[in-house]
Amino acid sequence: MSSEPRQFASPLARRLAAAAGIDLTKLTGSGPHGRIVKADVEKAKTATPPPHPAPIAASPTLPAPAAPAASAGYTDLPLTPMRRTIARRLTEAKATIPHFYLTVDIEMDAVLALREQLNARLAPDKLSVNDFILRAVALGLRAVPEANAAWAETAIRRFTDIDIAVAVATPEGLITPIVRQADRKGLGEISAEVKSLATRARDGALKPEEYQGGGFTISNLGMYGVRDFAAIINPPQACILAVGSADPRPIVKAGALAVATVMSVTLSVDHRTVDGATAARFLATTKSMLEDPLRMML
Amino acid sequence: MTESVSDLIVIGGGPGGYVAAIRAAQLGLSVTLVERSHLGGICLNWGCIPTKALLRSAELYRLMGEANSFGLSAGSLGFDLDQIVARSRAVAGRLQAGVRHLLKKNKVTVIEGTARLIGPGQVAVEGQGSLTAPHIILATGARARLLLGFEPDGRFLWSYREALTPDILPRRLVVIGSGAIGIEFASFFAAFGSEVTVIEALDRILPVEDHEISALARTAFERQGLHILTGATVTGLTKHEHDVEITVESGGQTLRLPADRVIVAIGITGNVENIGLETTQVRVEKGHIATDSLCRTDQPGLYAIGDVAGPPWLAHKASHEGVLCVEAIAGLPGLHPIDPKRIPGCTYGHPQVASVGLTEAAAIAQGYTIRVGRFPFAANGKAIALGEVDGLVKTLFDSTSGELLGAHIIGPEATEMIQGYAIATTLEATEADLIATTFPHPTLSEAMHEAVLAAFGRALHI
Repeated sequence: MSSEPRQFASPLARRLAAAAGIDLTKLTGSGPHGRIVKADVEKAKTATPPPHPAPIAASPTLPAPAAPAASAGYTDLPLTPMRRTIARRLTEAKATIPHFYLTVDIEMDAVLALREQLNARLAPDKLSVNDFILRAVALGLRAVPEANAAWAETAIRRFTDIDIAVAVATPEGLITPIVRQADRKGLGEISAEVKSLATRARDGALKPEEYQGGGFTISNLGMYGVRDFAAIINPPQACILAVGSADPRPIVKAGALAVATVMSVTLSVDHRTVDGATAARFLATTKSMLEDPLRMML
Repeated sequence: MTESVSDLIVIGGGPGGYVAAIRAAQLGLSVTLVERSHLGGICLNWGCIPTKALLRSAELYRLMGEANSFGLSAGSLGFDLDQIVARSRAVAGRLQAGVRHLLKKNKVTVIEGTARLIGPGQVAVEGQGSLTAPHIILATGARARLLLGFEPDGRFLWSYREALTPDILPRRLVVIGSGAIGIEFASFFAAFGSEVTVIEALDRILPVEDHEISALARTAFERQGLHILTGATVTGLTKHEHDVEITVESGGQTLRLPADRVIVAIGITGNVENIGLETTQVRVEKGHIATDSLCRTDQPGLYAIGDVAGPPWLAHKASHEGVLCVEAIAGLPGLHPIDPKRIPGCTYGHPQVASVGLTEAAAIAQGYTIRVGRFPFAANGKAIALGEVDGLVKTLFDSTSGELLGAHIIGPEATEMIQGYAIATTLEATEADLIATTFPHPTLSEAMHEAVLAAFGRALHI
C-alpha cells in the first residue's frame, strides 16, 4: 500500500490535465474538499507559467517508501512530493537551459597544508576542503559578479548578495541549503554554518528560507572518489560548480614531471546569462585563490 | 405596530424559501419566514406534487385498462374525478403540514401574511408590524403568464389552479402551451377520456428538450389520441353559452376549435410586484430579479432565489439556490455557483421525459464535436417484462475529453433514472467511469449503461 497522499481530482479533470500536459499535483482544487475539477484545469491551461520555477522544497513529513512487492520482478517506489519536484525541475533545466561546461585542474597542496595547520589550532573542530572551496567561490563571485546571476526570462538578474547553495544528499533526494553572504564570512563561520545546514537538511528540519534562493551552487562528489563530473544547473541560477576529488596526479612543472594534489572542477553555465570568457574569468580567480590560499585569509 | 429583529428574513415559503430558512437555521441564524398563502408554495400546493398525485391515478387507470395483457381481469373499469382530485388535495395537505413541522422543528419563526420591503433591511407585514434583519431573501416565486384575451375566467378558461380542481371532466379540452405543465395536464385529461388538443407556437412540443425526444414524445402522444398543433398561434376566442371556440392560425390555415375548457400554460412570470422593490436598487429584467451567481441582487443585503430570480423554473433549482444563498450569507467557504447544465428537468406525462445537460443541437451550436449514443427500451429486459417498451435513452459526449455533455431519457421511470446522469455530470465522470460502473440487472437503468456504450460503438444488447 502506498502512503502517498491521494490526489482528489474528477475523472474529467484528470483526463483534461493529461491531454494538456498539466501536472495535477501543482493545482489547487476548487471542488468539494479541495477536489480538482474541470474548471481548475481550464484555469491552469490559460494561466501563464510563473517566471521562476519554485525552489526545491523539503517536506518534513516524507512518506516511507512502499514495501517491495514480493512476487513482481521489480518494485515501484511511489514518488514523494520532493522526488516529483526534483524530477520536474531537473528535466526542465536539462531540457531548456543551454548548458556549457568549463573544466579546470586546481593544485590543492597549499590548501591542504594550510588546512592541516588551521585544524591543529582548531581541534576538535575541523575545516573541510569544501569550506575552502566555498570561500574561494565566494571571493571569485565578488571579483566576477557577472557569474552571480540568474535568468529571469525578461532580464538577467544580477544578485547583490553572494549567497551560495551547497548541494546536500539526503535519503529523500538532493537539497541545497544556502550560506548567505558567504563572501563576508570567514572559514570558521562558513564551516560551522555548512555543518549545521547539512545536519538539519538530512533531518528534514530546514526552514524554507534556508534553502530558497541563492545565486550559485556547489556540488561536491570528491569524497566519493569522483574525479570529474558535470552538474545540471539549478534554475534560475546561471552556474553550478561540480567538484571532484583531490588526488596526487602527475603534472608538468617547469618542463619536468612532478606530482601534485590536483582537483578537477567543472563549471556548468547557462549561456543565456553568462558567456564563456566571463565564466572562465570566474574559474581562474577561484583557482588562483585555492592555489594561493593565504589570499583567502585577507 | 410590533417590531421583530432576526438575522434573516425569507419572503416566500415555497421550495426555495422554506429550504433556505431550514438551512439558515441549521447554520445558527435566527430566521423569520413570511408566507402569504401556503407553506410549500405553488410547487407543493398547486404544482409539482398535486399533479403527480393526479398522474398516478391516470397511470393506474391506464394500467388497469391493459390488465388483460397481464393475465388479469379488472371487471368494469371506472373512475370518480372528485375522488381523484380529493386524493391529490390530501397529498398536498399532508406535505404542507410536513413543511410546517420542519420549520417548527428548526425554530424558524413563520409569519402568515403579505410582506413588503420598506427600506434597507426592513420588511412590513400587512397588519402585523415590521421586521428587521441584515439579510433578506426574496423567494416570492412566480405565477402563470397570461395570454391576452385568454385570461382565466373561472369557467371556460383555466390556469393550473382550476385545472387541478376541475369542476368537470371536459369532453373537449384545448391546452395552449406544450411545456412540462401543458403536457402533464394534457396527459392527465386524455387518460380519462378527454379529447385533447395541444397548441404550441414553436415547431415542436416540449421545446426545451432535445429535438429527437420532442419528436418521439409527439409520436407517443398522438398514438394515444392527442391532437397536436405546432407552429400554431391562437388568435381569437368566442365564448358561447356552454362552450368556447378558439381560432388558431397554423401553417397558413385558420382553424376553429370548439372546446369545453381551455388550459393556458404558456410559461410563468416572476412575482416582482407589490413587494417594495421600488425602495431598492434591485434590477428587474424580463419579469425576474437580476442576481449574481450567489443570488445577490444589486441591493446589499437583499437576495433573490427560485422562480422570481429567473429560469430554469424548477423547484429543485430554487431549493439549491436557497441553500447556496444562505451558505454564502453565513460565509461558508468553497461555494460553487449553480451550473445550469447540471440541473435535470422532468416531465411526467406518459411517456415520461427527463434530461440533464445539453441537447444535441445545443452541443453542436456550442462547437463540441460529439459522440451520440442511443439505446431503446425495446431492447431492455426489464422494460419488456414491465410491458413498457416505448422510448429510449440518448447520451451525448464530447468526443475528445469524454465529458458527458447531455443525457436524455424518454420512457418508463425516466424521471427517477435521470439522477444517475446528474451525479455523473456533477462528479465530472467521463465515459470510462460510466462504462466501468456496474448497473444492476434486470433494471431499466441498464439502458443508461448501454446508451453510454453505444456512443462508443460498444453497445452489447443491440
